[in-house]
Amino acid sequence: MHLPKFTYLNPTSMEEAVAFLKEHPNAGLMAGGTDILPRMKNRLDVPEVLVGLQGIPWEVPSVRPDGSLAINPLMTLDAVNRAPLIRERAPVLSDAALMVASSEIRNMGTLGGNLCQQTRCLYYNQRHSFQFMEPCYKRDGDRCYFIPKGRKCWAVFMSDTAPGLISLSTEIRVVGLEKMRTIPLEELYTGDAKKPFALDPDEMVSEIIVPEAPGSRGEAFFKFSLRGGVEFAALNVAAVLDMKEDRKTCAQARITVGALSSSPRRALKGEAALVEQELSRDLFFEVADIVAKEITPIPHHGFSAAYLTECLRVGTMRVLESATERIRRKK
Amino acid sequence: METKKQKLLLELSINDESYELAVGPQETLVEVLRNHLGLTGAKEGCDTGECGSCTVLIDGKPVLSCLTLALNCQNKKIVTIEGLGKEGAMTIVQNAFLEKGAVQCGFCTPGMVLATTALLEEMPAPSDRETKKALEGHLCRCTGYNKILEAVGLAVARSSGGSAGT
Amino acid sequence: MGDLEYVGKRVLRKDGPDKVTGRAMYTVDMQLRGMLTGAILRSPYPHARILHMDVSRARALPGVKAVITAQDTLGIKHGFVETPRYPADQSPLAVNKVCFAGEEVAAVAAIDPYVAEEALDLIRVDYELLPAVFDPEEAMQPGAPEIHPTHPKVEGPFKNIGGKTASGWGNIEDGFAQSDLVRKDRFESHLRTHGYLEPQATVASLEPDGKLNIWTSSQGPFIKRAKLAATLGLPFSSVRVQKAYVGGAFGGKIDLFSHEFCAALLSMKSGRPVKIVASREEIFSAYRHGQPLIVEVKTGVKKDGTLIAQEFRVINNSGAFRGSGVVVIFLAWGFAMLPYRVPHFKYEGYSVFTNNPIRTPQRGHGAPQLRFAVESQLDMIAGELGLDPVEIRLKNARDPNEQLPNGDNVHNCGLKECIRMAAEHTGFLGKWGKKGASPANGRMRRGIGIGVSAYFGGSLIYPNSSSVVVKMNDDGSVTMLTGAMEIGQGAETILSQIVAEELKIPVEEIQVIAADTETTPVDIGSWISGNAYVSGNATRVAAGEVRKKLLDLASESLEADPADLILKDKRISVAGSPDRGFTYRELVRTSIQKRRGDPIMGEGHWRTMRDEPVHPSLATAKGRWSENYAFDAQTAEVEVDTETGQVRLLRAVTAHDCGFPINPLLVEGQIDGQISMALGHAFFEEILMEDGKTLNPNWLDYRMPTIHNVAPSEHLDVITEEYKVGQPYRTKEVGEGYVSAILGAIANAIYDAVGVRLFSTPFTPEKILRGLGKIK
Repeated sequence: MHLPKFTYLNPTSMEEAVAFLKEHPNAGLMAGGTDILPRMKNRLDVPEVLVGLQGIPWEVPSVRPDGSLAINPLMTLDAVNRAPLIRERAPVLSDAALMVASSEIRNMGTLGGNLCQQTRCLYYNQRHSFQFMEPCYKRDGDRCYFIPKGRKCWAVFMSDTAPGLISLSTEIRVVGLEKMRTIPLEELYTGDAKKPFALDPDEMVSEIIVPEAPGSRGEAFFKFSLRGGVEFAALNVAAVLDMKEDRKTCAQARITVGALSSSPRRALKGEAALVEQELSRDLFFEVADIVAKEITPIPHHGFSAAYLTECLRVGTMRVLESATERIRRKK
Repeated sequence: METKKQKLLLELSINDESYELAVGPQETLVEVLRNHLGLTGAKEGCDTGECGSCTVLIDGKPVLSCLTLALNCQNKKIVTIEGLGKEGAMTIVQNAFLEKGAVQCGFCTPGMVLATTALLEEMPAPSDRETKKALEGHLCRCTGYNKILEAVGLAVARSSGGSAGT
Repeated sequence: MGDLEYVGKRVLRKDGPDKVTGRAMYTVDMQLRGMLTGAILRSPYPHARILHMDVSRARALPGVKAVITAQDTLGIKHGFVETPRYPADQSPLAVNKVCFAGEEVAAVAAIDPYVAEEALDLIRVDYELLPAVFDPEEAMQPGAPEIHPTHPKVEGPFKNIGGKTASGWGNIEDGFAQSDLVRKDRFESHLRTHGYLEPQATVASLEPDGKLNIWTSSQGPFIKRAKLAATLGLPFSSVRVQKAYVGGAFGGKIDLFSHEFCAALLSMKSGRPVKIVASREEIFSAYRHGQPLIVEVKTGVKKDGTLIAQEFRVINNSGAFRGSGVVVIFLAWGFAMLPYRVPHFKYEGYSVFTNNPIRTPQRGHGAPQLRFAVESQLDMIAGELGLDPVEIRLKNARDPNEQLPNGDNVHNCGLKECIRMAAEHTGFLGKWGKKGASPANGRMRRGIGIGVSAYFGGSLIYPNSSSVVVKMNDDGSVTMLTGAMEIGQGAETILSQIVAEELKIPVEEIQVIAADTETTPVDIGSWISGNAYVSGNATRVAAGEVRKKLLDLASESLEADPADLILKDKRISVAGSPDRGFTYRELVRTSIQKRRGDPIMGEGHWRTMRDEPVHPSLATAKGRWSENYAFDAQTAEVEVDTETGQVRLLRAVTAHDCGFPINPLLVEGQIDGQISMALGHAFFEEILMEDGKTLNPNWLDYRMPTIHNVAPSEHLDVITEEYKVGQPYRTKEVGEGYVSAILGAIANAIYDAVGVRLFSTPFTPEKILRGLGKIK
């Protein structure tokens, strides 16, 4: 399967990259290539110009004066998994990075690329040379094959690294030509499956900032897939629990769920049920129930909504228990 | 640096040999290896990064050559299956695969061998989990993976005290 | 096993070094000078009339060297089955209508893939949509849209019947009347696919002298040659199909594929070599998948567990053409009647046309689906009677030398011993029925189950036999010519071992020339489980002829009785007087001098059931089917996560009466691979289709087992014969038989673990959670 022809631009800095993006608003952006190149082989993207980021050097993570952890989005997922500072300060990200795809893809794919991957759907991620040829909404067409009477796109966002980072209250720096803004990572995601990112054509993510943990913290990530490796998640959940001084009562909880919607979803009711509570298995049971009712999954990739809901309940239990175990171990 | 849709002149280092090639920007490394250089050991089991049969080593790391643009491979050391072994002698990993019966149709074999080679270069005594994580992206329909794991074990045993790549 | 040096040994495969070094050349790797890229235009509709096709703009595109449609063909059809009852029904390119989404309507050859892609876009086809039907039971209904007329010999109101198999013996109503317990169940086996790593690929090159050279990823070159020659209107001598390494097949690369025909015709039209490689997406969505089967089985037993009566109704969704559908409904009959003795038996199988891509054999071809049904039901029956799964199977399992209802004999059947060994080795009865007791964490439940199956080695379907030539070289080494096809199973290696044993020559000194319709003799092909038995015996006969000639010469020159001579290290000497002897090299020279130039060659032929002229009737199952049956019992130990519904196969044990293993290392590899395939069948793999279109045409979403899902696989050999130099043997097949019993065993193990009985595959987590009441 060959790629369509294109002009390749090879910037050596992010400034140069955004300048290219401004000049070519319909350009494709390629970091590791593991998302965009398969899409191009399927002719889902046929950019005239491809801006590659592999010529831009990236530095290892560092701790900023305010104690936050700065990560370059061009880091490969393998490098993210191995980085000692990330293991120390954001272990939920280390864990998640190891669960992405395969070791080869982790050697190629970047953290930024994983956070900015396109939404997916069985009917969409195909070549369409003789199947589902009439374009669906995501292909700028007028229909949805998944929900035949649907009026919008139902593709799901499946990043493994996003839930953990969102639960860590991560912020990102977004740069464009002569502009820069800092936003919570959560706000990167529009919830619109067709256009999932709140980015102008000339913008890209330039830095990922994980705030320092306020005190005692436990975090955990759970990815459910049928085979236990390689594939995208049926669903994933990340929980970050920040504890009060007594280390038994929860001061703040953030639970983020992925792959069930067109963007990562915070389980706000579930979180609220944890705050000011003493952690216990019984509590987690209740919270898991709340989360399972709070988030209605989009069925996807062969999994039914009913099944995903049950997995969400189980997954929530498991991350809460694992997160608590991490707190215990730190004693 | 601007490049147009026309071909580029690239210099690639593959298996310690230097090749000068005229290549379009859209050509992937696997296409260049197979169609320009006759190095057909890297296979196209899917061409979309889902099966591992196109795996090569770039600067010692296993990557998917079907998702690697050839033009991004300059100034890098590429090793394909054809580059393992010296003067007709096979490596420890290759011999282990043979002796344990870890080869049937052979289509996944180059990728598996290269990934195993890279794994043992990095960690001479990987755990079961580490081995499986390293090979999880390699589909095999023939062996069920049992004998592949045995081959890795044999290669580990034979390599202790030496490099698995020679 | 006696004093054998090569057969029965763990000989390393001959093609191993080529494969681990990347030297092995597969069809996809071939490059010929001036080679063009071929590409195929496919129908987007599952059922439509072709009103008009315009290829003129494609033909005019610079870089396009040939464009073909049905109009450019001779209109000769082909099919998996080509008999008077079931004549060929497929056209390589659609003629008047298309019957499945993905059906081939046109093909182009161009100077590169970019031009080929553009050319396809320039072909215009006008279709008139026709109503379509996808479910076989719907397609059978009298009111269903007609894809093809029901077979003229099938009575009844059913529509879209490609073929029917009906057979029985005894009196089924009497049988049920005599039974103490009768139960009827319905089982559904879903759509799965082969998952071979090497894509479908063909290189075709018309030579200036008119010879059409073909390399194609296949399971045997002779059937390809026959069908290509027929459809292209060429004599066999003008078509040469040659060996390339094959990256797996599993039943998916047997009969003629459109792209093979197209590559050939495009080469003939353009005068240049043409290569067509199917994309992975095309393979998953337009190529042949396995046969889904609905199995309805009604069984009557005595209260001691003895089977009295069994009635089957099997429905096959064969896709848009007959494919191997009429074979699978025959085979399902066979796999139903083989392992257990059933006095009153009635079988009815229907192969039904639907507007889906054509289906084809997939490893086991009906056995997995059938054994899943029968073994599951037998456990349910045992449960109702208060019997355990082992005793009920021993009660009904066939014995050695038992005569089968169709006239075959099971000969050296080791089924009972397989059941006993499997049960004993796993401590089955100590583990079973413990209501899922498990270690530590309460959410995991463990269970154990057993299943039984049977398979056959070699049957009569074109090409019906194998021949081998073994020739000595001047220096005493040997070259063998065999049409056998190496598809990963080690065909060439085991045949070399046989030659090595007969002639006492090291395997490394035997050169194998294989799978070339021009130079090697005909071979039965690697899709009828006949390599070890049919090709192996042919090899033995050929080598035996060489052996006899060598012995005769030596006996003459040494003035000794052949019985007193020993073959060793390419030399023949007198027993007890080793210095009285001649090397093979010397004997070859002697032969040329004394035997009118005969350089010592041997030819061997073998055919299963030499006394039977034809294959059994697919429609009535009358007639002898095989003389080589293999039996096995498999156990599965599983662990069910009652929270997520996921099941892990902890341990699989295969007890098989393999005859004797020619190469135990290769046999182990076959068993491991089949356990893995069964694992995929049981838990992960499913082709999802909607209105004739495939939703998951890629490796990510068609979930084959990865290395994370490796299942510990043990095997127990029940040896029922031994190899003796110069004697025919009946060793059993090992390539297809072990994907079936394990499926029933897994279903039974899940029931043992969590009390959930599943009637359809795959055994998804959702089904298990529903069974546990966790999802309503």
